[in-house]
Amino acid sequence: MKHEVRRILQSFFNEATEPYGATCWCPSADIYRAQTRWLVKFDLAGVRPEDLQLRTEGRRLVVSGVRRDFAILEQQQAYSMEISYNRFERAVELPLDLASAQIETDYRDGMLLVVITPTA
Amino acid sequence: MADYTKPLPVLPLKTSVLFPHQMLPLVVGRPNSIAAVEAALATEDKTVAIFSQLQDETEDPRGEDLFTVGTLAVIRKMVRNDEMIQIVVQGIERVRWQEEVTATPYLTALVNPIPTPEDWDTNEEALHREILTIASQILSHINPQAQSALQQMIGQVESPIHQVYVLSSLISLKIEDEQRLLAAATQHEALELMHEFLVHELRVLEVRKKISEQAQSELSREQRDYVLRKQLRAIQAELGEENPEQADVAELRRRVEEADLPESIRKEVDRELARMERLPSAAPDYQITRSYLELVVELPWKRTTSDQLDLLHARDILDRDHFGLEKVKARIIEHLAVMKLNASARSPILCFVGPPGVGKTSLGKSIAAALGREFVRESLGGLSDEAELRGHRRTYIGAMPGRIIQAMRRAGVRNPVIMLDEIDKLGRDFRGDPAAALLEILDPAQNNQFRDNYLNLPFDLSQVFFIATANTLDTIPRPLLDRIEVLEVTGYSDDEKFRIARQYLLPRQLLDVGLTSEQLALTDAALMKLIRGYTRESGVRSLERTIGSVCRKAATAFASGRTDTLTIDAADIEPMLGHERYRLQDLRKKIEPGVAAGLAWTPVGGEVLYVEAVLLPESKELALTGQLGDVMKESARTAQSFVRSRWAELSLEKQALQCGVHIHVPAGATPKDGPSAGVTMATALASLYSHQPVRRDVAMTGEITLSGLVLPVGGIREKVLAAHRAGMKLIILPKANEPDLDELPEGVRDELQFVFAENVEEVVAAAIPTLTPHLQP
Repeated sequence: MKHEVRRILQSFFNEATEPYGATCWCPSADIYRAQTRWLVKFDLAGVRPEDLQLRTEGRRLVVSGVRRDFAILEQQQAYSMEISYNRFERAVELPLDLASAQIETDYRDGMLLVVITPTA
Repeated sequence: MADYTKPLPVLPLKTSVLFPHQMLPLVVGRPNSIAAVEAALATEDKTVAIFSQLQDETEDPRGEDLFTVGTLAVIRKMVRNDEMIQIVVQGIERVRWQEEVTATPYLTALVNPIPTPEDWDTNEEALHREILTIASQILSHINPQAQSALQQMIGQVESPIHQVYVLSSLISLKIEDEQRLLAAATQHEALELMHEFLVHELRVLEVRKKISEQAQSELSREQRDYVLRKQLRAIQAELGEENPEQADVAELRRRVEEADLPESIRKEVDRELARMERLPSAAPDYQITRSYLELVVELPWKRTTSDQLDLLHARDILDRDHFGLEKVKARIIEHLAVMKLNASARSPILCFVGPPGVGKTSLGKSIAAALGREFVRESLGGLSDEAELRGHRRTYIGAMPGRIIQAMRRAGVRNPVIMLDEIDKLGRDFRGDPAAALLEILDPAQNNQFRDNYLNLPFDLSQVFFIATANTLDTIPRPLLDRIEVLEVTGYSDDEKFRIARQYLLPRQLLDVGLTSEQLALTDAALMKLIRGYTRESGVRSLERTIGSVCRKAATAFASGRTDTLTIDAADIEPMLGHERYRLQDLRKKIEPGVAAGLAWTPVGGEVLYVEAVLLPESKELALTGQLGDVMKESARTAQSFVRSRWAELSLEKQALQCGVHIHVPAGATPKDGPSAGVTMATALASLYSHQPVRRDVAMTGEITLSGLVLPVGGIREKVLAAHRAGMKLIILPKANEPDLDELPEGVRDELQFVFAENVEEVVAAAIPTLTPHLQP
């Protein structure tokens, strides 16, 4: 019991670094750089593609949407829950102007992959 | 996002409010709430509406038990734990209660979102900045180390209203205040509320800080003292010195060893000593215990002086210091004789009663000297607090042992002579009756176990020779009088005074002014003139003063160069002291019919009183004046009735009997009472009705009854001495008082003629010889 409480408080304080930043959860992101291109990978498992939006704001790449839970078993009941549901939003800033860049997306194995190729 | 068209599960919150953007861990235990959380978890977006309860105690709240403004929240994490669910919720936005949809198995309701207010102007800007300033002050009070981190955290929050929400979780607010903040319609309102809360919080924190600083400084001073004292002790130990407390205890212990205390007392003292050793010297009990132990050690538990049992030597000492007082001296010698035969005899408890200045107090001193005992004098005059005699209990601040124990401590032996002076002047008030305490002290059957409240140990007073003194027995309570042996020390006659002046007063006064008997001599006539013309008293105090004044006048002459002997005769007195203050004018030169001389007793000696009566032809009344007491007034009525009833035997004029009578007894300002003027009144009335004057050199005393009997009265010695002083020749006394004449000095007895009367006829016959020749013997 004590252990459980501590775990919950800990998780609370981990998020407390930015507890009021937004009213939604924030997926993790990795950014890779190749010779001419950039790859941004978002951890967005369980999000339906139609619930996903991607937009650019100058140098910022913003991904937002909703993760909806779904039932697999009949009469299932949550026993413990760590995955965040409902709205999410994540912005990453890149050292290039995105408006003129070419952007391709792919959704593979629960990851959203965004490949950016600057045109200039 | 949330679908507000459908009812949402409602999670009621006790004791706290969830703000938008806030993460809050919750433990859900109530079945209804668990059901609500389960339902929310089963949805794909995990939303739940959170409303705070109006009352903490409500177990299954309905819509009316909740505040109307709540927060829409998403369940971020959950874990099950026995019967409870622990969840972390995050506030999304404010919602207003619209209507309850279901109450079981959990509460669901339709809610409407409240849009975030957008009002913003310079006013709000100013408020916002002020809030941030105060917040930073508060943070520095709460936790200076975390201040910058927290400030950074607040800084990261962009919207002012959300900053307010963050701050509300950092300071402790009442749930009503939090709810007001949540329900604020505009940003301005929220900011103003927050400002108010922060200012209050800051004030509380400042006061708290002041209090804790004070407490800390007090604490640190005490700690400092403690450490210093410890070090002092360590240094003393190093130097091989004892600390002051141990030295005190060791000194007391040594004195206890020397004191040779009785076994039971020793046990008690050892216990107190052990207790004292454990006390720090700063404890109030330390000093109290110390002075108590000092008292116990100094008290004479076993020490005695051995009595001087040589009867002749004792007699010499008594005679050396006092003239006369035969009865008292004989009693002391008797006691010595008893002591000689039985060493363990109880000491007597005597009480000397007599007028002031007759030597009662100094007699006590002589007795102590004659017995070879210590002498302690305790004046009880005006004492009204019982605790003064018996002590205060040690629990009281400033408690002291009583006078008796203090006297024993001063005496230093357990068989002193203790003189209880002025025992008739004990007061009595709400603090108790000191006479009651004296009952125990003076009772030979009880006083071997006398228990002082302070000492609280039985102390044996049975070896103490108590002598009390009093001017009158009237004010001494009966039970007390019952325990003591009363010895009357009566006033002196002129002759006795003369001898006392010759033998004691004159030599003493000469010594005082530094003259010798060769230089100054007083003739017998001069001394008698001083006694008769300048003093009127039973004792010799003012006589001694007068002699002293003569001596000082003489001393002035010698100091101015005179060398030859100065002899003072009666004629020299008046130039030195002025006119005679008292004359023998008591004896009236001529006496009218209706006037008779009576004799009165006062605490300062006897007195000749004239009773004057006149006829009031126009009236029937009996007027009585001269500050007469009730007994005396009744005595006057009795006298009148008696005389009237015997008009025939006394050959009175029947006409006169019809008139009213006025009786006056001078001096008018002195209150008088008592029955002993009865015969005088009867004689005065007989004289008045018969118009025959009373003999001018006759004085009388005695109580009368209605049938004419003469009853005995007290104070015969003083009365007769006063009559003698006044120049009376014939004294009429009740027959029953005849034995009292033995007390009179022989000189006086021989100069006077006495008639002892059994009835009023005899009195009248002796006093008015012209009236009743047939009654003359």
